[in-house]
Amino acid sequence: MATVAEALEYRGKSIEFPLEYPEENDIPDEELHEHLARPSTERTKKLKARCRWKHASAGEFVEKGVTSGIQRMRFITEAHRASDGKPEVIRRALGLANILNKYTLVLQQDEFIIGYHAEDPNMFPLYPELAYMAVADYLISDYAPQPVDEATEIMEYWKPYSMQGKCEGYFDPEDLMRMYQVSTMEAPGFATGYNSVVPPYETVLEDGLLKRIEMAEANIKKAKEAMAETPWDATKGLKWIDKIDNWEAMVIADKAVIAWARRHARLAKIVAENFETDPKRKEELLEISEINHRVPAEPCKGLKDAFQAKWYVFMVCHAIDRYASGFAQTEDAMLFPYYKASVIEKAFQPMTHADAIEWVEMERLKISEHGAGKSRAYREIFPGSNDLFILTVGGTKADGSDACNEMTDAILEATRNIRTTEPSILFRYSKIGREKTKRLVFGCIRDGLGYPSIKHEEIALEQLKYYSQFSKEGNGATDEETHSWANVLCMSPGLTGRRKTQKTRSEGGGSIFPAKILEVALNDGYDWSYADMQLGPKTGKSENLKTFEELWEAFKVQYQYATSLVIRCKDVMRHFEGRYLQMPFVSSIDDGCMELGRDACELSEQPNGWHNPITTVVAANSMVAIKKLIYDDKKYTMGQLMDALKANWEGHEEMHKDFKNAPKWGNDDEYADTIIKDFYEDIIGGEMRRITNYSGGPVLPVGQAVGLYMEIGSRTGPTPDGRFGGEAADDGGISPYMGTDHKGPTAVLRSVSKVQKNQKANLLNQRLSVPIMRSKHGFAIWHAYMDTWHDLNIDHVQFNVVSTAEMKAAQKEPERHQDLIVRVAGFSARFVDIPTYGQNTIIARNEQQFGAEDLEYLNVNL
Amino acid sequence: MSVVERQLHIEEGTKIPCRTCKWEIADPTNPDQGQCTVNRTGAGAVWKRWVRDVHGMTCARHEEGKLSFRDHV
Repeated sequence: MATVAEALEYRGKSIEFPLEYPEENDIPDEELHEHLARPSTERTKKLKARCRWKHASAGEFVEKGVTSGIQRMRFITEAHRASDGKPEVIRRALGLANILNKYTLVLQQDEFIIGYHAEDPNMFPLYPELAYMAVADYLISDYAPQPVDEATEIMEYWKPYSMQGKCEGYFDPEDLMRMYQVSTMEAPGFATGYNSVVPPYETVLEDGLLKRIEMAEANIKKAKEAMAETPWDATKGLKWIDKIDNWEAMVIADKAVIAWARRHARLAKIVAENFETDPKRKEELLEISEINHRVPAEPCKGLKDAFQAKWYVFMVCHAIDRYASGFAQTEDAMLFPYYKASVIEKAFQPMTHADAIEWVEMERLKISEHGAGKSRAYREIFPGSNDLFILTVGGTKADGSDACNEMTDAILEATRNIRTTEPSILFRYSKIGREKTKRLVFGCIRDGLGYPSIKHEEIALEQLKYYSQFSKEGNGATDEETHSWANVLCMSPGLTGRRKTQKTRSEGGGSIFPAKILEVALNDGYDWSYADMQLGPKTGKSENLKTFEELWEAFKVQYQYATSLVIRCKDVMRHFEGRYLQMPFVSSIDDGCMELGRDACELSEQPNGWHNPITTVVAANSMVAIKKLIYDDKKYTMGQLMDALKANWEGHEEMHKDFKNAPKWGNDDEYADTIIKDFYEDIIGGEMRRITNYSGGPVLPVGQAVGLYMEIGSRTGPTPDGRFGGEAADDGGISPYMGTDHKGPTAVLRSVSKVQKNQKANLLNQRLSVPIMRSKHGFAIWHAYMDTWHDLNIDHVQFNVVSTAEMKAAQKEPERHQDLIVRVAGFSARFVDIPTYGQNTIIARNEQQFGAEDLEYLNVNL
Repeated sequence: MSVVERQLHIEEGTKIPCRTCKWEIADPTNPDQGQCTVNRTGAGAVWKRWVRDVHGMTCARHEEGKLSFRDHV
């Protein structure tokens, strides 16, 4: 039997909480999630059943048979060798063309959106031109590309040409060793290949690639005419050379993508005419052939066109030209014109709303099957997921009106139906947003998907306006353009649309770890608990820090050292990306690059610098405990604390109890919150914003943990907040440490709302009571909570609605809980695909109940 | 058994390098380095130690094999 929440007295009434769907009374808590999937058609049911998931955990792929392919690395190397002497941007275009021209095509049963980014749907490509260490790790793994000898030879060939080879020489080897460990700092992108991009999908859907080729060719013609003008002026004329090369490269890349899509069209036709025996499927294959011949070459005319064209752009930008995580787009706004043409007006590819839902389900399964050839670090830190894929819906239009539409609803309905961990969704929450759509958002959350995560519409709009003033090009986002924002990855808003989107992770992304930095700050920059080496500047032994202010300053110095170093890494990489890792296809579909003849990696019109502090709350709670017990109350000395930490609190049990019970974040506690607010605003944000990045703007913190709160926890010794060595750190960006928020959900909101200055984003993880959320009052309570959250000007929130009983049952019998999904941090995962260490951190999160005081604070009408 | 033997240490030509030990997993970035996960608490925490050289370091707690992803972090 399902658990039903106990009645409570509220505003003079006894409020009962019967389940909204009475039939759920017969479903035991332990198996609820296994009853919630409902693929809308037989096709999507079959596609889900045979989906080739590629979830990774602890560096390993969970599913059997997943491995890396050799074709991409073989073909890009072949092209690089053959193009020696040509301009680098042309070499990049020829590399892409060689891959697409020779790639094995994949056409799978039952699919309508076709295409895959490796030679086999169980494979993923590798990128030797990025980081040789990442390839070397695959070569010694169970997922090595075959033949290994060829792959090894390719890796060796690329060492001097790779991003890693180009960048490493500009850093002190000691600094590199510190970063590569990923304990105080995330390793630089040039050593991992990790990246993210926001493709300007809209130009492909609206213009088609043939038009983009025409534009580039017209620009080349004009450039050559300008160069031929007399009298010759070298100060102007020579500038055309690089532009001509860029436009030439765009033409090569676009022609290759069109040819590749048309190869798919031909394959579908051949299969239909020669092999398919099912007349219905034969008809579908012929339609697939027709669509793939037309798009992405020509503008999209209907919803089927749009899904297919978008898929080609995704594959090229995120997996073939180079690796990039993410699925950033405002999907509902982008697809609505095609939804209108197909569903509302029935003008092209006519279909019903239910058909549109099936297409969304199919796209979600394509993403679920996508394999990322990412380095080991990133196979560890998103446990239970393929990669980070986050799309955005909702928000407001440029005129300030509600942007939700029928496509928004189709996306949310499909998401709830098909029940996959990817892609995650971000909902832009505005109080003017329509209730119909918010109910669908709630439906996904209540069913335990862990998403949509929610971000504050107006905070994001203001933030993008703020960044635009720093544009080196004098061309940052207009007020109208800010309304196109989507999360670039898990948490950070960036522009979408025809230009000014983020092209490379060197703009934003990457992590820094305050908990470990504090440990190092307490030990004169030395890491005794993991690497046994100096990890930062010498800032003095903690016993000699006579005041709390001296400790604060020591931490600040350590933090500034690490922050400056990681941002320098990103900008040095950006410098070389613009010279050796150009992206002519992305350039061709960006209006700015097309107009200016500049490469997407080099051109930055809208600054949007950010970096992710992860484990901030462990550090902040530790600062609170130290201030209270050592500097204020003087109950212990710093020497005693250091002895206890070195002993992992063993033999210091009373002292441990005191430090564990010191005031903690998330309880609306004045003492703790005052210190922690300053910690966030003056150090975490204040120090970071002193940095100016490649794009000319400040860098601001985006606190969000992904799975790094586990990794860094396991690389961090005991901390003064009472944590034992190796235990996980805090799981959000501003969430209370698991199990330490004792004052209910509204106290958490009050604490979090105090941090406002010098922040870009902060992830708030909350776990809500299953019986309350599934009751007939679930939506009313959640809606009131959300409006209060909005009024408190909090940036973000996301929810787990999953019972401890079900998670524990899944630990015992994982095979019976394949549909149990949980929110880890910026992503959701199948619970059974997460290591036990990580599973326990989800179980340990406080399951928030709503008492009468909370309901009163939220002003809920029940 | 000496303290040194129990702890991670360099041993040239060792036949039982960390690379083959079930408690070792690769470093997140550099495959010539690694992470030792042998220190585990009863509550399920894994307190890792960095392995500077997975080919030349070893300790007395070496065990051949490989753990499932479920037993790592």
